[in-house]
Amino acid sequence: MSIYILPLLFIFIFVYAHFKKVNCYDTFIRGAKKSIPLVVDIFPYITAIMIAVTLLRSSGITALLAQFFAPVFNLLSIPTELVELVLLRPFTGSGSYALLNDVLLTYGADSYISRCACVILGSSETIFYVTTIYMSQTNVKKLLYAIPVALICSTVGSVLACLLCKIM
Amino acid sequence: MIVASICFLLWSAPGSVLSQMLDASTASVKLAFELCAVYAVWLGILELVEASGMSEKLAKILHPAIKKIFNIKDPATEKLIAMNISANMLGLGNASTPLAIKALQKMDTGSPVASTPMIMLIVINATSIQLLPTTVIALRQTAGSTSPADIILPTLITTIVTTILAIFLVKLCAKFIKRGKKI
Repeated sequence: MSIYILPLLFIFIFVYAHFKKVNCYDTFIRGAKKSIPLVVDIFPYITAIMIAVTLLRSSGITALLAQFFAPVFNLLSIPTELVELVLLRPFTGSGSYALLNDVLLTYGADSYISRCACVILGSSETIFYVTTIYMSQTNVKKLLYAIPVALICSTVGSVLACLLCKIM
Repeated sequence: MIVASICFLLWSAPGSVLSQMLDASTASVKLAFELCAVYAVWLGILELVEASGMSEKLAKILHPAIKKIFNIKDPATEKLIAMNISANMLGLGNASTPLAIKALQKMDTGSPVASTPMIMLIVINATSIQLLPTTVIALRQTAGSTSPADIILPTLITTIVTTILAIFLVKLCAKFIKRGKKI
């Protein structure tokens, strides 16, 4: 069923846009053009994070950290392989995507671990980053319970993601 | 972080530091090019979604729900929130951020403590319902998945559950704080 979602959605979008008298070709080109500046923007971050992650890995620090946190994550039925990803996610977007890519290549794109990683990433946000950006233009200094609630929800999300990947 | 790991490596394998950094950087160039190709397709499609007014339609559909959840009086702010959330649902991250900032500026009363609707907006953004996790699908595709889109459904379910939980928790916390003030 899922393999039909995207093609059908694309057809729907094109037909709808055509019906609304939007010039499909020009609009598509305009959007596609944006991909180059976007990649140029995120490229330095990806590089920095990938270097950091590679060094952390080979130095053995992450293995220690993962070992330290593994019991907690096992309790929540999140695979040990994804500890790094779950811990890094709230802080950096491009960083966690670089990590996801690493997971995908290491375990294979269609493995259980990779699917879990994808759902976890797809269903979460860079909580700390987003909050900082959003609040940067206001006078608010105290966020009360906003961050804890967001973190609780995203942890529940990770657990649920792993469960759903097991049955779907 | 980098310094700490280099120090650690100095002790374990000092010869490998530079070669590993270059390996990582080479991998990142490769990833950036692959991403560029996939982003071109997705951004093209998303531009169509925006130009055809589909995201505004979605915002209209969400409007009544937002009225109930946020409970604010200003219609202009409501509209901004609706557009922010719908942009988020479609994975239009770049479009949703400025909308949220504008909405928060409108809600800003000058007080240093965040109001409940402000917190609600942040938390809902953090758990946002995802109809199209575009970047994740893109990465899976480049990694050679046979059906990269089969994560859409579990992602959708997960985000719906977490968003409902988020709304519930924020309402609960807000109630507790109110009660605390009365006493």
